[in-house]
Amino acid sequence: MQKKRHSQHLKTSIRILQAIVVIGMIVLFGRIIQLQIIDYDKYAPLSRQNSIRMDVVNPARGLILDRHGTIIVDNQPIYSITITPAKFRMDKLHVLAEILNLPEEVVLERVQLAQQFSWHRTSRLFTEVPFEVFSAIEENIWRLPGIGNQIESKRNYPLELNASHALGYLREASREDYLRSDDIRLGDRIGKSGIEMVYEDFLKGNRGTQYLQVNAYGQALGNYNDGQLDISPIKGSDLVTTLDADLQMLTEKIMENKRGSVVAMDPNTGEILSLVSAPQYNLDKLSGRIDAEYWQSINADTLTPLYNRAISSRQPPGSTFKPFMGLFGLHLGLVTPEKEIYNTGAYIRGRAYRDLADPGYYDLEKALAKSSNTYFLWIMDRIATQGHLNDWSQKMKDFGMGISNGIDLPFETSGIMPDSTYLDMTFGRRNWSIGDLMNFGIGQGLVSVSPLQMAVAVSSLANGGYRVQPHIVHAIRDNNGTLSYTNPQRTKIDWVTQENLEAVKKGMRGAVTEGSGRFYANLPDIKVAGKTGTAQNPHGQNHGWFIAYAPADDPEIAVAVLMENAGFGSISAAPVASLVIEQYLKGEILRPHVLNYVLNFTPREETPADDDEADTEAADE
Amino acid sequence: MINLKDFSWSVIFIWVALTGIGLVAIYSATQGPVSEFLPSYIQNNFSRQLTWIGISLVCLIAIQFTSPRTFQGVSYIFYAICLALAILTVFIGIEVSGGRRWLSIFGMRVQISEFLKLATVLAVANYLTHTRNVSVNDFKTALTTVMLILVPVIVIIMQNDTGTALVLLALIPVVLLWSGLPYGISLLIISPAIIGYFSVISLPIGLVVTVIIALTIFFLQKIPWLSISSLLLGFVVVIGTEVALQEVLQPHQRARVEAFVNPTLDPQGAGWNVLQAKTAIGSGGFQGKGFMEGTQTQLRFLPEQWTDFVFCVIGEEFGFIGSSLVLLLFAALFLRLLTIAGIQKHPFSQLVIISVTYLYFAHFVINVGSATAVLPIMGVPLPFVSYGGSAFLANTLMLAICINMHLYKRSFSIYR
Repeated sequence: MQKKRHSQHLKTSIRILQAIVVIGMIVLFGRIIQLQIIDYDKYAPLSRQNSIRMDVVNPARGLILDRHGTIIVDNQPIYSITITPAKFRMDKLHVLAEILNLPEEVVLERVQLAQQFSWHRTSRLFTEVPFEVFSAIEENIWRLPGIGNQIESKRNYPLELNASHALGYLREASREDYLRSDDIRLGDRIGKSGIEMVYEDFLKGNRGTQYLQVNAYGQALGNYNDGQLDISPIKGSDLVTTLDADLQMLTEKIMENKRGSVVAMDPNTGEILSLVSAPQYNLDKLSGRIDAEYWQSINADTLTPLYNRAISSRQPPGSTFKPFMGLFGLHLGLVTPEKEIYNTGAYIRGRAYRDLADPGYYDLEKALAKSSNTYFLWIMDRIATQGHLNDWSQKMKDFGMGISNGIDLPFETSGIMPDSTYLDMTFGRRNWSIGDLMNFGIGQGLVSVSPLQMAVAVSSLANGGYRVQPHIVHAIRDNNGTLSYTNPQRTKIDWVTQENLEAVKKGMRGAVTEGSGRFYANLPDIKVAGKTGTAQNPHGQNHGWFIAYAPADDPEIAVAVLMENAGFGSISAAPVASLVIEQYLKGEILRPHVLNYVLNFTPREETPADDDEADTEAADE
Repeated sequence: MINLKDFSWSVIFIWVALTGIGLVAIYSATQGPVSEFLPSYIQNNFSRQLTWIGISLVCLIAIQFTSPRTFQGVSYIFYAICLALAILTVFIGIEVSGGRRWLSIFGMRVQISEFLKLATVLAVANYLTHTRNVSVNDFKTALTTVMLILVPVIVIIMQNDTGTALVLLALIPVVLLWSGLPYGISLLIISPAIIGYFSVISLPIGLVVTVIIALTIFFLQKIPWLSISSLLLGFVVVIGTEVALQEVLQPHQRARVEAFVNPTLDPQGAGWNVLQAKTAIGSGGFQGKGFMEGTQTQLRFLPEQWTDFVFCVIGEEFGFIGSSLVLLLFAALFLRLLTIAGIQKHPFSQLVIISVTYLYFAHFVINVGSATAVLPIMGVPLPFVSYGGSAFLANTLMLAICINMHLYKRSFSIYR
């Protein structure tokens, strides 16, 4: 009986165990059906994401070449180590330090810096590390959570050519840049000045993507799907500039330790041959990791190296304005090339405007050559009293003075060429009189222009009356080598006649052969024409101007030089311009003493001495 | 007296099939493209497993020439030796990731705890059937039975192998149930485990399950005080689980439990294994990604993919077809063994076969349950499939004994 009961118990026990097995099986079966059939669509992408990493492949930025095809800006790879502080484990610090081959304290300092910057954003821990360190990190990346590596490139300047204000620098895109364009990612470096900024869209190229198979440690194992999904990056377009590398290097050398600007251009086309604003900043120091100290120093520098004086500064043109006054006088018929005006030593109109040119009769040629103020004050007097002010302003603007010339650089000033509207605004409606206008005749007072504008103006004069659009980029060469040319404007200034031009040009040639330009600008075998000038500076030493073109009968180069706080243009700006012309037309400097003089030039105290330009005396009170 | 019809060809077939599937999975998990990231001693796992399978096959055949009585005879000695070696392991074992589980014997690493399981099964079965006192109503018998199991459990826990210890511990209610313990009391004994499991998932579910179990016990035994104590015990477990989760557990242990409940909470940390295991199986789909084509496996997203997570390899590379085949083979094995147990004349055979079946089942459920995130990850191997020589040999020995008992069931009688 007992045995039977036991047998019954056994049977039931086995039934129970069988039931448990069946229940367990049903649960697990249900589970694998759920995972593998119902939720397949959820897990399949998950496993793909797991094992595939999309990497952005940055394209090479376009090169920048000079007018002869010499590379002046290219790229150089740099290796960076990145960190995402939130994912980094501090107990791995010694491993990291060992791989980086740096003392632990140094690494710790950088890690803390990154933590202060952002816990969750990836930032660069070390940049420009040697390739061996870079690959050692790649190998050990699985041991170092939160640490990454990337290849970046930085701008490289193979020549000893800086051209900081023409080329411009790159900086990490700001949050605003990032929000404005979906093409820019946080951390990208974009052009922030110069042609790097203006031609950013051409230079940057198209970003590529590549899909990499990665393992659980994040190590890349190679292309996913044989790279079929990858998009190759497209290299940025190259810029063929109008700059002349040799000339630019000379100009930079000359302008070292000085303040001012030099703009040299081809007067026939507006191609900028050289553009320097001094002091410059060092592009090389801004190219890789931003040297915070250097960036701060150039920002805080009272000499404002970041400021592009060549196109952004505004100064009265002084006597360099006289050729254009002469042309307008001729145009209006106020004077003829033969008309002579007597200089008594001062021009009287309400008050005496002193004229340091020797007293005597002056025709246009002589007035320009000797820079007589009387002649041009006489013209301005007529312009003002006969109601030609607005016409005058307009005609001067035709030469590119007082308006924007559309150069392919950012932050170009338009300068000031006053008309009645402007005077109303400045002094109050009708609250100005002839006394405020007289100074305009000798390029002082409210009239103010940039060195670039003077270069455009003298070019228009030199090329027979065509206004040209200054430009630095001649052509853009895309990835396939196709060149697309920029299309600078060139327009005839219709009121300028050849006859009148010849008269003014003669005067400008005279200024170099007989006038204030004869000391430094009169080259033995190149016919230079030009005009010196001095811009009044109520805040300190006056600024020296010189505008010139050469050869006088068939101009190939036009130059405008402004030397700030350097006194008379004849001794400060003229020698610089002459060297630029010599270098460009001769290919070398044949007057080493002038070069030496310029390199060692220090502004002197202002003593009129034998200099016959002294428009400074025309006080503008 | 031997009738070859009694030789369990079906069981042998299942054994061969599971072993084959295991070899394929281990090959893929250690010799596939993944081998690049594996240390060489792990790459050798496949050939080592082959060696152990060879040894196991010899043992499987050799055992068929002995009589079931032999197992009865050697059971205590075997138990004593295994226990002694296991204790020895605690002190001089080879330490691997925080646990001393392996003993070096003649240059071979042997995991004694695997054999201790077999020894415990034999010893307990022998104890309960030798005296023909198959009733556990005698308190002393019951206590001795429990002690026979509890001592190995403690030793295994000291080897830091909680998974195996848990499996062995849960042998107690099975044995007691077989030996005549009322169903209600058996349920009461295992109820803390069930209630604990659901309490971890959610407190209200734990309470509901407590009530259901108490009602079931009342229905089975009709003893009110038993149901009430079940209810009280249940509440204690529910509250204890909650307190343990909040207060007692170390942060990393708590993280493991939380990761089980909600793996997406911390996908890089504790939930990583759970998530990767689910992803591996889920992304296998119906057909699987193909042999040595599983990205989760080959790119090393799975931990311990040749042992504890071997099911993920099968699920990923062979899809639903592969994983359901494994499930069906195991289901067939368990049901077949239980049927065999039911027709045994000798209680020793019955108890041994039931215990062995239970051990396989527990390993299977915990392993597959962990891999599919039905259970928290506990880390036990899948019988016959996972890499592990000792486990394979011990499991095969158990199977060989079951087959042997079935083969000799006519000659092995209590009346002789």
